[in-house]
Amino acid sequence: MNSIQRRLTLTLVALCCLLWGGGSLAAYLTIRAGLVSEFDRAHTTDIDALSNMAEQSEQGLKFDATGEYMPAFQREDRPDYFQLWQTDGAVLYRSPAWQGDLPRAAGTLASPKFWNVTLPDGLRGRAVGVRFVPNEDEDTPRTPGGPALIKEVILVAAFHRHELDARLHYLGMVLLLVGMAIAVATMVVVPLVVRRGLWPLSALAERAASIDASSLQMRFQTDNMPAELLPIMKRLNDLLARLEASFTRERRFSADVAHELRTPIAELRTLAEVALKWPDEVTAEALKDALQIALQMETIATGLMALARCEGSLLPVRPERVSVGELLEEVLHPLAAQAHAKQLAVTVEVPKDACWFTDRATLRSIFTGLLSNAVDHTQSATSVKARVENNGASQRLLISNRCGSLVQEDISHLFERFWQKNEARSSTHHCGLGLALARAYAQSLGMTLEAQLNHTEIIFILSGASPCTGADLAQEPPRQVDSQF
Amino acid sequence: MHLLFIEDSTRLQTSVGRGLRKAGYAVDITGDGNEGLWLAESNEYDTIILDLMLPGLDGLSVLSRLRARQNAAHVLILTAKDTVENRVTGLQTGADDYLVKPFAFEELLARVQALCRRSYQRKNPRITIDDLEIDTAARVAVRKNKTVELTPREFMLLEYLALRRGQVVSRTEIEAHIYSDSADLMSNAVDSAICGLRRKIGRTGASPLIHTRRGMGYVMESEPA
Repeated sequence: MNSIQRRLTLTLVALCCLLWGGGSLAAYLTIRAGLVSEFDRAHTTDIDALSNMAEQSEQGLKFDATGEYMPAFQREDRPDYFQLWQTDGAVLYRSPAWQGDLPRAAGTLASPKFWNVTLPDGLRGRAVGVRFVPNEDEDTPRTPGGPALIKEVILVAAFHRHELDARLHYLGMVLLLVGMAIAVATMVVVPLVVRRGLWPLSALAERAASIDASSLQMRFQTDNMPAELLPIMKRLNDLLARLEASFTRERRFSADVAHELRTPIAELRTLAEVALKWPDEVTAEALKDALQIALQMETIATGLMALARCEGSLLPVRPERVSVGELLEEVLHPLAAQAHAKQLAVTVEVPKDACWFTDRATLRSIFTGLLSNAVDHTQSATSVKARVENNGASQRLLISNRCGSLVQEDISHLFERFWQKNEARSSTHHCGLGLALARAYAQSLGMTLEAQLNHTEIIFILSGASPCTGADLAQEPPRQVDSQF
Repeated sequence: MHLLFIEDSTRLQTSVGRGLRKAGYAVDITGDGNEGLWLAESNEYDTIILDLMLPGLDGLSVLSRLRARQNAAHVLILTAKDTVENRVTGLQTGADDYLVKPFAFEELLARVQALCRRSYQRKNPRITIDDLEIDTAARVAVRKNKTVELTPREFMLLEYLALRRGQVVSRTEIEAHIYSDSADLMSNAVDSAICGLRRKIGRTGASPLIHTRRGMGYVMESEPA
């Protein structure tokens, strides 16, 4: 499984091991170079001493490498070796411990040449070679016209390096063992540290995994959480809140639909079953009820289909010049009797020349929905007002009425399908689709429909209407009168 | 049997109420939760048919208040709410049965009959007293292999007395269980109904099954106690 914790643990363990291995290797190489350098420096003194033992005179070269001065070349156990050549390769002297030849290579006394060598006894050694002109023997002065002195000789000395190798081996073993111990400790400690460090993330994941449709009210606790996770948790909390609201809306919608559809079906079915069981009891009232139920269901079906058409952008829009005042009066006319019965004062404050370039039938449906809603739901002996205002380059219509039962929280639900303030949904005249339809129609005309609650007054605001211009006349199609309500 | 139907749909009130009455039940009907609660507390109903979405007081509140006040009437929830969560909540609040709208009227009737039988600790729909057999499901009474023709109210009275076999049933109890509050109840309505019932089930010449306990009421049993 692709796990951050696992990947992080493996990466950190590998990285720690790599860093420790690399560091150990670098330390080993540095220390080894230092020890070898120190070893070489120590034997530079020996080669200097050996070179000083060579003196030349007219009688030839005298080399006094006796055990008194250089016992290391005389001892029986692991002796050191040297060999002295003339530049033409003729061997002048060699150490008494071995009669073979050492490799011949040389630097200068100031900068001797060092290299590793296998000693005659088969052990590893370190050789140093110099090329130099032997000193003149001061006890034997030169005679005029005497033979020429040797110009240069090559001296190579080879030393056992087993002590150096033993120290290097010890150092290597120490570094290796400490490295292995650290690797094991890293493999134990790093997962614990990573797990502890990623605990908030694990807790977040565990909490998130436990969320389902039944626990959407749960929220992530942001106290004592790392700063890196806070934005994620806040966003998740926001998403949960929106999801919960959406689920609640969905549940309410399902319950409302169930009620709006199941109840009339139940009414119709019971009506029919009782009538069939006791045919002598069938009355005209029962048939009238059946008709009313059919009409009620027809209204719901028509509303749902109209909403579907709006959502599918299937609603035809034929813009034309529409007199807002005239259309409002036209819509209010059939509502006059109901308004009169409720003693409502209906006022329309619209300039005579208020004209919108939009689809007349759809706008009529919006007006019908808003005004019938206002007349139905406003309190008796109050007023319903409709007025048009300029809103920048566009115009807007405001329809207001008194509505004592609504609270601010209801405003967000007003345009939801099937929403009704009365949770019992007792009314058979309203199904809660009118305002949802009005908003859908407004959106299909490129307008917005919103509601505001001002104390006990509800105001519906239809915004974004385009006032008529002279250019509209040319685009105007033939007039069609239609209503989708 | 006396039923209370709490439902805000006037059409369902009419059709279901008519059907239940035709089936022989005395039915009180209301469309308001508060009024329903008041009726349920004021009368002794065999079964209450309760909608959940009600004006005034919702159905679950009505039910929980009834149960909180130790009202043991059987309650059948009749609602459009059909989710498992709704059913579980309804039954856990104290309902005895749950029926989702739309429903078959026959099913509602059968469930109501079952709940009414349960009120008298009976599971078998057939009641036999001496040579009288009463099928409460088929609404048929047979004595000496001959069907006794009864009106729905007479059958209901017979069923009520049979369900309380061996117990003295007062006139008040009969009024409460057989007649709805809308009935124009005359002072001798119970006596007349008992008289009519005695005549019909005794027509075959068999021994009387309904006996009068003077000053107390009536008792139905095969032999006088």
